[in-house]
Amino acid sequence: MRKCCSASSVEYRCARFRRAGLASLLVGLGLLVQPIVAVAADLLEMRESLYNNIFIFADADSVSMTFGQNKRYYTESNMKLSDPGALTVDYTRYMTLGIAYAPKLERIAEIGLGGGRTVSYLGAALPDTGILAIELDKDVVDLAKKYFKFQETARLRAVVSDGRAFLLKDSEKWDVILIDAYRGPFVPFHLLTQEFYRLVKSRLNPGGVVVQNIEPSTMLFDSASATLKSVFPSVDLYDGGGNVVAIGYDGPSLPQAELLARAAKVQERYKLRYDLTKLAADRRVLNRASGKILTDDFAPVETMRAIEQKNEKWKEQTEVPR
Amino acid sequence: MQQSHLRGILLLAMACILGFALMGFEMLGSRYLYPYFGGGINTWASLIATVLVALMAGYLIGGALVDRTMSPRLCGALLVVAGLYLFTIPLWVDPLFTWMLTSIGDGMTGITLAATALLLLPLTLMSVFTPFAVRLLLVSVAFGGRIVSYVYGVSTIGNVLGTLVTTFVLVPSFGSRALTMIFAGVTIGCGIVMMLSDRFLRGADR
Repeated sequence: MRKCCSASSVEYRCARFRRAGLASLLVGLGLLVQPIVAVAADLLEMRESLYNNIFIFADADSVSMTFGQNKRYYTESNMKLSDPGALTVDYTRYMTLGIAYAPKLERIAEIGLGGGRTVSYLGAALPDTGILAIELDKDVVDLAKKYFKFQETARLRAVVSDGRAFLLKDSEKWDVILIDAYRGPFVPFHLLTQEFYRLVKSRLNPGGVVVQNIEPSTMLFDSASATLKSVFPSVDLYDGGGNVVAIGYDGPSLPQAELLARAAKVQERYKLRYDLTKLAADRRVLNRASGKILTDDFAPVETMRAIEQKNEKWKEQTEVPR
Repeated sequence: MQQSHLRGILLLAMACILGFALMGFEMLGSRYLYPYFGGGINTWASLIATVLVALMAGYLIGGALVDRTMSPRLCGALLVVAGLYLFTIPLWVDPLFTWMLTSIGDGMTGITLAATALLLLPLTLMSVFTPFAVRLLLVSVAFGGRIVSYVYGVSTIGNVLGTLVTTFVLVPSFGSRALTMIFAGVTIGCGIVMMLSDRFLRGADR
């Protein structure tokens, strides 16, 4: 579960300084009382893994996993302690919408575990579905278990591997593939190219869907969505509050009534906490993809990411479904 | 201008160009490896180790060859072979890496073998150039230290430029396959120049 947007990030030094300064001042005045302590997030653990600098922060009622990069923290996952089953980050609710599209729900894969809240939610809600989380960083899996109540079961497993390498090696097929692989602010380029999406498509059962979290505030969004559209004839976009969730599938675009009917059927069967029919109502159809298509040969994601654009601009490439 | 000066300029220019291409290939190597083996510190470790092994082997082989032959034509021929190998990379890299990933895996062995197949042979042949350049420029033992320092200094400038320009300018502007072929062409060009100027580089005038 990952969210990347600089607005939610905090400058390291600044944050530390402020906390330390405030705390010592209050101690000095004899004013250090509970509510104020609760406002500041405590660092529970910092771990330097093979791939990331991972920070686990907690306040009175939430715990979050962040990756530190460029002196900023990028929130990868968040969990409410008093309500662990809630999906607190908006876009992760839309990530679950993939299950409304797929004709069957026997097997779901997710690339990029984070704290594992999305797969845990799906695992709890879908009693007959096998779910596999493919996570590059072993320490992320460990910390998800330690702080985010991520538990492996017979039906919900995690494997440590690069997502693309795993799909290449393992030819099993999936009904839904969720992709939420951010390293701090970046999606590694090899998870955004046409070759990658073709591989994903080859690992989907008939009618299967790919669901990807894409950050819309830079030029890279246009290219990522255009590349997805070049492999999947139909791409729907959902505004997940800062992040956009893209759902790609084969065949012509579903009529909205059909999607709502399918969502209602799945909702009726599994009684999901976040109502699929309400989520599906926010659908926008990508029909004017304008970005340059990314390939393994040409994917300057770092350069494209540096060119910012207005957050809402992506909507110009879409229309409301009929 | 004296022939020996011209010889020095030509060899140092080639040292710089080949240094540029060598590091350019290392950076491009990462673009070939990422899709199959991921983009972590492990991929970089295998890539850097492979390039260093190539440099070592090239220096050893080059030193032994140049003492025996003093033949710029031989060195040029090796550069042409290196360039031809590199030129063909885009043709075979995808099937080979797919096979390696599925049969060997994405651990250290798999990544290092992939990096080796990609770069070891051609970069070894390219770094054969350095001892040749030193020996061909060495007219007197009295200048030995300076000759070595010029050749290494200039080729390292090439390395630095190759690293930065390839990453920040060339990869974002061209595809990595096209760049591979351009760099391979430049390497072949250096080899042909060396073969054609064999007599001149030997210093037939001295």
